[in-house]
Amino acid sequence: MLERPPDEAVREDALTEGDLSVAATPEPADTARQIVFVAGSGRSGTSLMSGILKNMGLHVPEPEVAPDKTNPKGFGEPKWVVGFHEMLLKRVHVNPADARPGAWFDAGRACIQEANRSRLAEWLDPQFETAESLVIKDPRISWFLGLWRVAAVRVGASTATIVMLRPPAEVVGSGNAYYGERPGDPSGGRLEDINRLAGWTNIMLFTERATRGSSRSFVRYHDLLNDWTSTVVRVGEELGLADVTNAGTGQMQEVHRFVDPELHRVRTTWDELSVPTALRDLAEATWQQLDLLAEPGGDTPEVHAKLDVLRREYGALYAEAEALAWSSVEAAGPAYVEATSRAAAAEAEAAYADASGPRKAYLRSRRVAGRAKRRLRGGG
Amino acid sequence: MTVEESFRRLQNREGRADFEVRWPTDFGALEPGLTSVLRVKNEARSLPWVLPPLFRAVQHVVVVDNQSDDGTPEVARAVADQAGASERLTVTEYPFDVSRCGAEHLGTPEDSVHNLAYFYNWSFAHVQTAYSMKWDGDMVLTAEGVETYADLAWQLENVEAVVAMPRHPLFVESDRVAYLDVYMINVEEYVFPMGDDYRFVKAYEWELRMVPQGIRRRRLPQGLCVELKYLDSNEFDHWAGIDAFGATARTMRKLREWEVFHALRDGRHDEIDGVVRIEAPPEFDHVITYVTQKWLPRQQRPITVPVDQRPAQKPPVASGSGGGRA
Repeated sequence: MLERPPDEAVREDALTEGDLSVAATPEPADTARQIVFVAGSGRSGTSLMSGILKNMGLHVPEPEVAPDKTNPKGFGEPKWVVGFHEMLLKRVHVNPADARPGAWFDAGRACIQEANRSRLAEWLDPQFETAESLVIKDPRISWFLGLWRVAAVRVGASTATIVMLRPPAEVVGSGNAYYGERPGDPSGGRLEDINRLAGWTNIMLFTERATRGSSRSFVRYHDLLNDWTSTVVRVGEELGLADVTNAGTGQMQEVHRFVDPELHRVRTTWDELSVPTALRDLAEATWQQLDLLAEPGGDTPEVHAKLDVLRREYGALYAEAEALAWSSVEAAGPAYVEATSRAAAAEAEAAYADASGPRKAYLRSRRVAGRAKRRLRGGG
Repeated sequence: MTVEESFRRLQNREGRADFEVRWPTDFGALEPGLTSVLRVKNEARSLPWVLPPLFRAVQHVVVVDNQSDDGTPEVARAVADQAGASERLTVTEYPFDVSRCGAEHLGTPEDSVHNLAYFYNWSFAHVQTAYSMKWDGDMVLTAEGVETYADLAWQLENVEAVVAMPRHPLFVESDRVAYLDVYMINVEEYVFPMGDDYRFVKAYEWELRMVPQGIRRRRLPQGLCVELKYLDSNEFDHWAGIDAFGATARTMRKLREWEVFHALRDGRHDEIDGVVRIEAPPEFDHVITYVTQKWLPRQQRPITVPVDQRPAQKPPVASGSGGGRA
């Protein structure tokens, strides 16, 4: 135990350059452990990027989501991660392509809950037994990048993010082509166009902000399809991915077989979309700035400043639209509650039908208890 | 609205026009972002630990020096320079004696330059972003804390909310050894919007920040911040005396701190429950680095032992939220 020196002695123990160096020591981490997040709007080539990294030797935790007609080459997505993100989004009432700027604060609630932090770190830690470099891709990941970075800190891993870029009109067109219109949309698809474009703008503006200052690279979808080699080498160097920069010929052959330029099937332009001018101009301006970030040395304070202004303009535009449509929002409230109650009841029925005998008995007793509790509360 | 109309002026009874408060009234008109405000007196020793993670987490840092004689302002500038963040640091000076917490504070009018609330209003009036973060000169963010606050800074852009956080007392014995109090729960609100609804007012023992009713609130998890207590210094200088602790829920925390501090300083750490001894391994330069970068992030949650999991007949347990005082 140190003896307490007189106050004067403490003051004389003034800071030296050496003390400052101690405090500035870089954060120690188990540097061999590395996670690459692939983020960006859906339909922007996130699966392509994840697949390339996998072919280069980075590990996608298994099992993966199976390919389907919307993504014939595979998603490169760990099933657990998709399920985890879906559960969190549902809990905070955020849509994967949510257009609300305030939705980031709502999603942030899931990021700061200790149970989620612990659960993710517990899942992540054993993944490094298979490989030291992981790829985590899911278009929903933008909402939870903070949660992932905290989990990485806990398991002693470094992180880097690749943000995929594709012109917004193409993203909207691709979404329309593969996911279709919302059932019962009376606007003949206009609602989808507007909502998808607003969602793209929100997600891209805030994904850029969420990754600013961290290790990151921006990649254009069409660059990957045209000549993946130069793009991938740039990314490997920017993010310090040894697996990528030191790839062997066998791995390059695998990537050549994997990358199919025919994947670039949707080339929608602004002329084909029916969206409000203010939103279109804002989305286009956002794209122009993001596009600069994909240039070598393009991740500059000047671009950040312009994106800050655009993010603010988007917030104002959305607030105005929300005010304009407030009557619809209010009217939709009861309908939403009714619809979600119906969905929950249907889910419970399905779970009951699939349950084992003892489980059915348990569920029955819970229903009885629930009814009794509601009666006691006077709820009928 | 003219520029002047967008500020509320608070005058002081001493008539010091050069220390009038010019408080921004419109939260929505301010630039997005988070500014951390530190009111400090002789914190030169801690600032090299405190400032670097803050610069990684927030957009701007305001250091308000109150009569330091240990070179605190110079150290703040040197640390910012070393972190490449000089342009994100504002250092200013508040030259008045400020009443100490407790009875002395209670006897000082709110509109006096010597009152804590006035001091806080003057300090926070330097904030030019939409959100402000109260911070102390001995609070160090962990690696996890940096990530969390860096996200908050932009997640708050389109909402109005107040954010609270628990902090953990870390008693530093030497550059190799420290003790974490895992019985102390000290939750306080740190992040507030600026604007007319969020000014400081006088409370019993110290200042209090006004918050509109019904505002959204968020509470951050444990493990984001430690509060440094050096065993070779006097941590209780700014209190009028142990009697000033009183026996309210707000001040019971100080009693626990006082007990732990003196037990550790007297070499009786094994007599105190709920205190964990931490020794930095050789690859870490300092125990503070070890605790904030590795030990705490990897510690099992919850870090603070829940009251119902503690052995019976333990020392008084401090708990509660809001109004804490370092």
